[in-house]
Amino acid sequence: MGAKDASREEAAHIAALEDLQDPGWAWSEYKPSVSAPWDLARVGHLYRRAGFGANWAQLQEALSQGPGPTIDKLLQPQGDLQAFEREYAVYEGSAMSVNDLRAWWVRRMIQTPHPLLEKMTLFWHGHFAINGENVKNTGAMLQYVRALRGEALGSFRSMLNSVCRDPAVLLGVGSGASRKSMPNDNFAGAMLESFTVGPAVCSQTDVSEAARAFTGWFVLRGKVRYIEREHDGGVKRILGQSGNFTGEDVVRIVLEQDAAARAIVTKLYKYFISEGQEPDAKLIAPLAESFAGDYNILKVVETMLRSNIFFSQAAYRGRIKCPVDFALGIVNAFEGMVSTTHLAEDIAALGQDLYHPPTIRGWPGGRGWISSATMAGRSNLAWSLLGGSKPYGERLDPWAVAQKHGASSLESAAEFLVGLLLGDDAADGDCETLIKTVQAAGGAKPQEQLRRFAYRITSLAEYNLC
Amino acid sequence: MFYKCERHKNRRYAGFLSAVLSVLFAVQSPVRAIPSAAECIPKNAVISVEIARPKALLEFFTGEKVTKALTALPAYKNLTSTPKFSELQGIIGFVEATLQADWRTGIAKLTGGGVTFAVCPDDIVVLIVDAEDEQMLGRIHEFFLDIARGNGYGGEVESGKDVTAWTFDGKSAHTIIGKRFVFASSLDGLKAVLELRDKSGSENLTSKPGYQSARRSAGADAAAIVFADMTLLKYVPEISSLLQKSTGNPLAALAFAGIIEAVQNSSRLGFGLHTAEDKLILDASVDGNVGGAGSSAAFALPKKSDQGVMPNLSVPRRLAAMSLYRDLHEFYAAKDELFPERTSGLIFFENMMGIFFSGRDLTNEVLAETGPEIRLVAAEQQYDASIGRPAVELPAFAAVFRLRNPESFKAVAEEAWQKAIGLVNFTRGQQAMPGLIIDRPTQGETKFTVAYFSSADAENKAQLAQRFNFRPSIAMPGDYLVLSSTDGLARDLVDALNRETKSPPASLAGTHSEVEIDSSQLASILEANRMTLVRGDMVKKGKTQAESEAGIDMLIALTKLTKGLKVSIGTDGRLTNARIELGLNLQ
Repeated sequence: MGAKDASREEAAHIAALEDLQDPGWAWSEYKPSVSAPWDLARVGHLYRRAGFGANWAQLQEALSQGPGPTIDKLLQPQGDLQAFEREYAVYEGSAMSVNDLRAWWVRRMIQTPHPLLEKMTLFWHGHFAINGENVKNTGAMLQYVRALRGEALGSFRSMLNSVCRDPAVLLGVGSGASRKSMPNDNFAGAMLESFTVGPAVCSQTDVSEAARAFTGWFVLRGKVRYIEREHDGGVKRILGQSGNFTGEDVVRIVLEQDAAARAIVTKLYKYFISEGQEPDAKLIAPLAESFAGDYNILKVVETMLRSNIFFSQAAYRGRIKCPVDFALGIVNAFEGMVSTTHLAEDIAALGQDLYHPPTIRGWPGGRGWISSATMAGRSNLAWSLLGGSKPYGERLDPWAVAQKHGASSLESAAEFLVGLLLGDDAADGDCETLIKTVQAAGGAKPQEQLRRFAYRITSLAEYNLC
Repeated sequence: MFYKCERHKNRRYAGFLSAVLSVLFAVQSPVRAIPSAAECIPKNAVISVEIARPKALLEFFTGEKVTKALTALPAYKNLTSTPKFSELQGIIGFVEATLQADWRTGIAKLTGGGVTFAVCPDDIVVLIVDAEDEQMLGRIHEFFLDIARGNGYGGEVESGKDVTAWTFDGKSAHTIIGKRFVFASSLDGLKAVLELRDKSGSENLTSKPGYQSARRSAGADAAAIVFADMTLLKYVPEISSLLQKSTGNPLAALAFAGIIEAVQNSSRLGFGLHTAEDKLILDASVDGNVGGAGSSAAFALPKKSDQGVMPNLSVPRRLAAMSLYRDLHEFYAAKDELFPERTSGLIFFENMMGIFFSGRDLTNEVLAETGPEIRLVAAEQQYDASIGRPAVELPAFAAVFRLRNPESFKAVAEEAWQKAIGLVNFTRGQQAMPGLIIDRPTQGETKFTVAYFSSADAENKAQLAQRFNFRPSIAMPGDYLVLSSTDGLARDLVDALNRETKSPPASLAGTHSEVEIDSSQLASILEANRMTLVRGDMVKKGKTQAESEAGIDMLIALTKLTKGLKVSIGTDGRLTNARIELGLNLQ
């Protein structure tokens, strides 16, 4: 480890401790300063967290415009989102299997004019984690993700209500039928323990009582139907409240609990800022309080993205990239489009099978993404994407992109790639060492050498951190 | 006077003698006959390609009809407006100026004597081109030499013989001997060719019995001949692995029976390409023995010389048809030898058959009931407007078997089929999915059984789910058993089989497999599913919609340019021959 790395790590540690003790400073809007300049590293950080990476033009534009206008742009679609949605409605509507849907979603993530929306849809897919294998209905799975997207930056309250009536969710948790003679605990358990307040706040009795409130709801021939005679009209006691509650009441009651807002804000903090440690309750409190008022998702996400803590060393490279971020970061950086059928399969092989989260709690994430097998898999995927051979072919061309942005020699192109993929994070001498390694490996054409160089960058720890 | 006369006479004799001697000497002097190109190819060549009649191929592929058809393609018209096309036109113009002829004439004169290409061990490739116009050959050679010189090459290399040799890139070497251009990927390769040219009688490619046999099989009038030395090629890991894989899969073993064994046992593979009016014919042959006792392909070999596959069945909107000579009883009886490592799929299949056929022995009491004539048909569907149309239109497909004891076996087959439908319905019901409804309609005098999904509740009958492509049916007209994916195709096959029963056709003696593809119908179904194909192509290849549309449209246009494809494969035990006919639609 170089001296630069050691001092940076130490500074990050101290800064993290200080930041976490002062929520007022943490959630204040970030203003560039000498100690925290608006530089390539911070621009790259923003695009990695609020999207799926960026290309060189986007990084340069953000650098020149500053943090405020850049975040404004990320919060709003850049382009005609409605036209994009109409186009994708046709594409996704023609999918014949959940694997087809998976391929279209990865393509959508690459092409979307609103990357934050897709990033949040992915977040909610990991939160309301429904596995297509349990649903066995392509149309229902499409509708489920569309519903998540519809409220991904909208109202959590609306989203929760929508989830209660979503056939894919009900089938996915094994709650296709709930009769008053045999209330189905599965959905009520997921609602309380996984989707909202968490197991520390609710008891098994709360779950059983909530299950009674959800009786009468069935999924019949792919559609959710309410059969009144199967609803338990008796008095239920849920989280301290008593009454003749229905499903809508359960949603109201759980959202009245501070723990619900706290759980969602904490999860968003780990998604956008740092997943390393459980955040201090004091740090989460102001945002949770605000979120509990209206359950406006966009507002809390915006606060996080604009905050000092988001741009602090406590957050920087504070997450391990999920396979989607790893792969799409490469594709977006090199301004290409590849086979998303293959890419979705390769991402699934790295542990993130879209439409097939492993449990109702979604993907464990963090260190769960990393093992000797998945690291070898990431390396293989990076080479498949950048190596210029099958299955992705020559659709990504680092040399062409470097030349397009002014590089004329191997050295200048290599420096360009370090800026593009690492935000200049490479440790002292890493760039030179990589160039020498690549040159030593032979291959006359700079195009081939740069492919190897780009591949080597993606193998660095820095690239695998978000 | 006499003397004068004698002198004059002697002079005349001397002149005559001198002329006769000259002729004799000329005949007897060791003037070397120019060896053919194939005679200059080393004997160890693994693959050789000889274009014996380049002008015939040139006329076929660049003739008026093909040119007119190709230039009429929308894809071609789009191409002509691209900068790359203009660039290509510029290059062609420059080459034409160099040759002092248009490009068609240029190619004809440069290759008119034949083109021979060979791949030899150690990555050596050899190309010999016999031109008709020596001067033109010189001009084009000088043109390429100039380009090479511009890249720092193009100098002379030592050939070790009395000819001048050059290199284009510092590795390859080539020479021109009269009208012949000889190129090799290495100087050693060129020297080997020159050595064979000088030493007539040396062993060369034409000395190989396998090559001689391949040439005979290709026919004297072949426009092009390909020879592959299978003894050497089978050492290529990819080929070896492919041949191994094919034998482990029961379905592949059934479909490609006789072919895999022939290739595995062969020492050579040969192709002969022939051109006819609007048709290309490729005759392929391998010399692998597939007959004899204990042959793993015995179930696919007609037992008598006059036996073979039945002609393919003809039905309206036919896409493809396949006729196979396969004795299923013999095939399955030998399964332990064919597939010593039984797959879980095979075990599952046997268990299911045990259920469907009420405990009958699959080999002796079920498969033995079928004759060796198996026919498969695929056809484009017609949809009943009252039922609706699926969003993705799949072709219907069917299998036709001849029954040995139709009277006793028809009820057994019907019962098994209805059990299978029942199982499907039960499984779908468990998953809350709609099931099939069984009906017994009539076609002509044949009562058959169909199972269908009801579309009564469908919200959009113009965009039905994929399952509406299937209306599984079983029909047993006469001695035949028809298993079809739709009742429409079942009805058409009942009619076709009734026609056939009235005037039975002769079987195709010696042929064990025949496949026919009808291009116009294929193009029609591609067009019906155009957008589905486009969307699939977009995500599979990472293309834009416009790029995928161009690719699929090109595929449809090229399909329309063909009339159809017919592949016939047969064997006499010693030689396995295949004929591939590609008809072109050049109207």
